[in-house]
Amino acid sequence: MSQMNGASSLVASLEAAGVDVMFGIPGGAILPAYDPIFSSSIRHILVRHEQGAGHAATGYAQVTGRVGVCIATSGPGATNLVTPLADAAMDSVPVVAITGQVPSVAIGTDAFQEADIRGITMPFAKHNYLVTDPADIPRAIAEAFHIASTGRPGPVLVDIAKDALQKMTEFAYPSSVSLKGYKPKLAPDAQSIIDAADLITQSSKPVFYVGGGVIKANASRELLELAQLLGAPVVTTLMARGAFPDSHPLNLGMPGMHGTVAAVTALQKSDLLITLGARFDDRVTGKLSTFAVNAKVIHADVDPAEIGKNRFADVAVLGDLKHSIAALIPAVKAALAKNRPDLTAWLRQMNSLKATYPLGYDVPKDGSLAPQYVIERLGKISGPETIFAAGVGQHQMWASQFVSYENPRTWLNSGGLGTMGYAVPAAMGAKVGAPDSTVWAIDGDGCFQMTNQELTTCALNNIPIKVAIINNESLGMVRQWQTLFYEGRYSNTSLESKRIPNFPMLAEAMGCVGLSCDRPEDVDATIEKAMSINDQPVVVDFRVARDAMVWPMVAAGASNDDILIARETAPDWDSQEL
Amino acid sequence: MAQHTLEVIVENSPGVLARVAGLFSRRAYNIERLSVGPTDNPETSKMDIVVNLDGHALEQVIAQLDKLINVIAIKEIVPNTAQPIVHDTQPDYQN
Repeated sequence: MSQMNGASSLVASLEAAGVDVMFGIPGGAILPAYDPIFSSSIRHILVRHEQGAGHAATGYAQVTGRVGVCIATSGPGATNLVTPLADAAMDSVPVVAITGQVPSVAIGTDAFQEADIRGITMPFAKHNYLVTDPADIPRAIAEAFHIASTGRPGPVLVDIAKDALQKMTEFAYPSSVSLKGYKPKLAPDAQSIIDAADLITQSSKPVFYVGGGVIKANASRELLELAQLLGAPVVTTLMARGAFPDSHPLNLGMPGMHGTVAAVTALQKSDLLITLGARFDDRVTGKLSTFAVNAKVIHADVDPAEIGKNRFADVAVLGDLKHSIAALIPAVKAALAKNRPDLTAWLRQMNSLKATYPLGYDVPKDGSLAPQYVIERLGKISGPETIFAAGVGQHQMWASQFVSYENPRTWLNSGGLGTMGYAVPAAMGAKVGAPDSTVWAIDGDGCFQMTNQELTTCALNNIPIKVAIINNESLGMVRQWQTLFYEGRYSNTSLESKRIPNFPMLAEAMGCVGLSCDRPEDVDATIEKAMSINDQPVVVDFRVARDAMVWPMVAAGASNDDILIARETAPDWDSQEL
Repeated sequence: MAQHTLEVIVENSPGVLARVAGLFSRRAYNIERLSVGPTDNPETSKMDIVVNLDGHALEQVIAQLDKLINVIAIKEIVPNTAQPIVHDTQPDYQN
């Protein structure tokens, strides 16, 4: 134990928690903490907006599997963290946010820069704290890191009153954390594994419905073994891209609103969904009452509240997925040795759909650039070790569809909250967490204009990310819906971003290299030039055709049975034996 | 729909009532009646929450309540029976 002020105790606690980097901006209430940060071993990256700090912490966490840390002052500093923390909650990302609060005597008086950030974040944060006594700081930090990183990961906020940072205290970091009301389960019950294996051997149309939980649990290797053991098809949701190699013959791709015909149909026609770390999100199920109506469900998850939330589970496997899948492997092996169902017909049907309805796109007849082509070439040229971060919208769907993901933690996006502006700061955090990897942000021109200020942070802090702006001068996904559902009345979706701003100039102004490309024949050379620059961030303005749409599509609220492969074009079901 | 009474043991710390009430409101469930009182242990409080929910919705409310870090235990009090249904969805830490 040693005497120090609360601020030093905070920084010593963060060091004890193993923090090596944090993203933030100082201000009045958090100012005492910035003095010991100045001499700490923790690298503090000074961002340009607190939202950038939050998404950077998320990107760092997604890539490393460690807890991402962001720090801000009270009031507006803290409220600017709300969006990234809600984002981290929806995508189950371990993030700890530290905020300064007005002095404890001023709390509740509408003091300057006062906002009840604990109250504001209560609905979505996994947990949060308001600390007014400096003696409570080490315990709050230890608990925050424990809660954020165990069970179903999520964001935890620690709000600390300024006077608690200033007062003297004894520093002692707890050697362990025990919370009466929080004991996440690691190993699944033996009976649940037996029941699951039993269901698996009774199924002739099983499919692995793989969600982001597999990546969170670092269970990709176990999944590969289990999938190959059973020889059943695999679908990977938007949050699970990379959990199972895209190149694997059993992988049918992404299910859901913009999923492949094979993946959507596999779920629809299955008699058993082997659900691993997925949550039956509406973007996957479509109209729930018509989703996979003939399927039984095995639901393996670490969060008990997900079991049966949207879809009844015939067998619930509650536990950490790494443990659960590892336990399933020998159980399924033993069950299959006694009774191996014949999956040949099922696999033949699914492979036929995969071959008949591959992802594709129309090349614009006027010679302009197809956005899908740009993204496809980015994936091919930069290779499977590259980390991609996308914003939200059409470019996000194309980045999920047309890049082949072979490894977990190489695909970052805002899946649950759908946060436009996620890509640039998340890519920044990813590059800090994986400095030796190439990190590409695939961003839209709308998204890019929400958070590009962090390129200044990247340029000044030697964080050489690469940004591909898929510039269709529109809020493209909204425009697509206006095309399909609002008779082409394009209300407020034209951004005119091929005119203003000049993205390469904007990039140059922020200390990056700015490139531009609008012809298909220049795409490869432009990407290669961007790949050759590693001492500065690079921004490429890919000026693409405006009217490209994301296909296939299941309209919001529609049944997955009504998937369209192009406008008013359903798959030819009559020619498929299903 | 039948009324169910949930006896919820929570940590006696500031903001717990807001967490519980907020959970009901954001998941679009109504609280019919609510009382909060002390227990023998000064570190915990007891909330009796009466809800008009059945089956799946009741199970979801219990599961979501149980996710709150400050919620220690949940029992469903069934009228005219001696034994409460104990919703212990937080088994011991296993390795």
